[in-house]
Amino acid sequence: MTFFEDQLKQGIFQISYCETCNENIWPPKEICHRCFNESKWKKSENIGKIIEFSKKDSAYFGLVEIDQGIRIMGDISSSSTPKTGQIVTMKVSFDSKPHYSFIVENN
Amino acid sequence: MNNVAIVGTGQTKFSKDDGDVERLLFESTKNCIQSVENCESKDIEGVLVSTNNNSKYLGAILSETIGIQPKISHSIEHLCSSGTNALISGYAYISSGLADIVLVSGVESATNPGQVLDWDKSRGSFEHPIYWASMLTKAHKTKFQTTEEELAIVSAKNHKQAMDNPLAYSNQPRTISEVMNSKQITDDLRILDCSRSCSGSASILLASEEKAKKISDQPIWIKGIGQKTTSASFTKNNLEEIESTRIAAKTAYGMAKVEPNDVDVAEVHDAFSVCELMAISELGITDNDKSGEFVRNLFNTENRMINPRGGLIGAGHPLGATGISQTIEITNQLQGKSEKRQISNLGIGLVHNMSAAGTSSSVMVLEN
Repeated sequence: MTFFEDQLKQGIFQISYCETCNENIWPPKEICHRCFNESKWKKSENIGKIIEFSKKDSAYFGLVEIDQGIRIMGDISSSSTPKTGQIVTMKVSFDSKPHYSFIVENN
Repeated sequence: MNNVAIVGTGQTKFSKDDGDVERLLFESTKNCIQSVENCESKDIEGVLVSTNNNSKYLGAILSETIGIQPKISHSIEHLCSSGTNALISGYAYISSGLADIVLVSGVESATNPGQVLDWDKSRGSFEHPIYWASMLTKAHKTKFQTTEEELAIVSAKNHKQAMDNPLAYSNQPRTISEVMNSKQITDDLRILDCSRSCSGSASILLASEEKAKKISDQPIWIKGIGQKTTSASFTKNNLEEIESTRIAAKTAYGMAKVEPNDVDVAEVHDAFSVCELMAISELGITDNDKSGEFVRNLFNTENRMINPRGGLIGAGHPLGATGISQTIEITNQLQGKSEKRQISNLGIGLVHNMSAAGTSSSVMVLEN
């Protein structure tokens, strides 16, 4: 299991970033794609906005952008139809694969 | 740089049965070699196998199966566009002078592992292609006012065209209404909007100009090639566009010295209905906001210009064989050998094949 996956298992979304290039690296990698130096890790603010969404069976899912530019797919919990641009908070976990869940604020 | 031609083609039927890859490879290869009158197996100097299957050493296995000892043999994997990547590698071996005749064979079994890219952590638990396809479809509807009927026409058209392709996976005509009322996968995707992973194999024999003129009376020339990879992870994409296709097309048109409106026939990568609308726009054949209308017009006038063999939706999608099968269709169309689905007066044909939500694209321009 990678550091990223192990942290997800503990409910923490870690972002790899390069101190030299001042840039987030996503999907997570141990090296910077620009300068090839070792990347560092920082915790996500766990807040994002909905870029696009759809629904499968009775559950919403979609593409959400967190931490200025990191886009991920996850399930969306909302009592009403979500909207693009809506602010969401993120919860994460990991079993055999990552799970990202987004909750629409003011639900 | 040597010119390169397609001189032979062979395929198997595409099927939902989980076929044996070595057997399928042999069948399409046999059909391919037998399609060329003046060529023997021993003349083949390179054997490239395109697949997502986990079987090892297939280039050497296929070579031994057909009794040859080629200079070059290996496998090529690039998810859904493995086939065109293998063809372009074969082109490069010949144009550089490393080989004169190269066999390119693609194969897949229905239960291949090529649909899921575990590396892409940005997809979370939504790893199946239906999820990115739902995002692209929703975004297309919102930005270009694309209707569900326009999306359904892509599938109805391609199913109808596949009826005249005896090797296609689907042999059922589907009306627009049947597509629109087919099982709902997500709010933005129905089952008949999706191509289906299946078993099948397709093979092409490529030759240098000198050899092609000796062994074929109808060589089809690869005049333009464009390839572009913008990322591996889906979520790097802008949902409203397929940038890799746009860039690859520009390169291919430039190399072939043609314009989009010179294209008479095209096989485009309709993994899902929305992909055909996006592809024909990025290829410059129509505009994004007119793509639905363009396809409706093709359907109403029974014009088979786009995806005459039925595309991925109608013919099926054996990943490693798809790009090669698309190229065979355009080759046969330019040779006038497409029987019931033959389009008349063709000069320039195009093949568009892509991978992983359009993060990588290949475009080839063919000419007779």
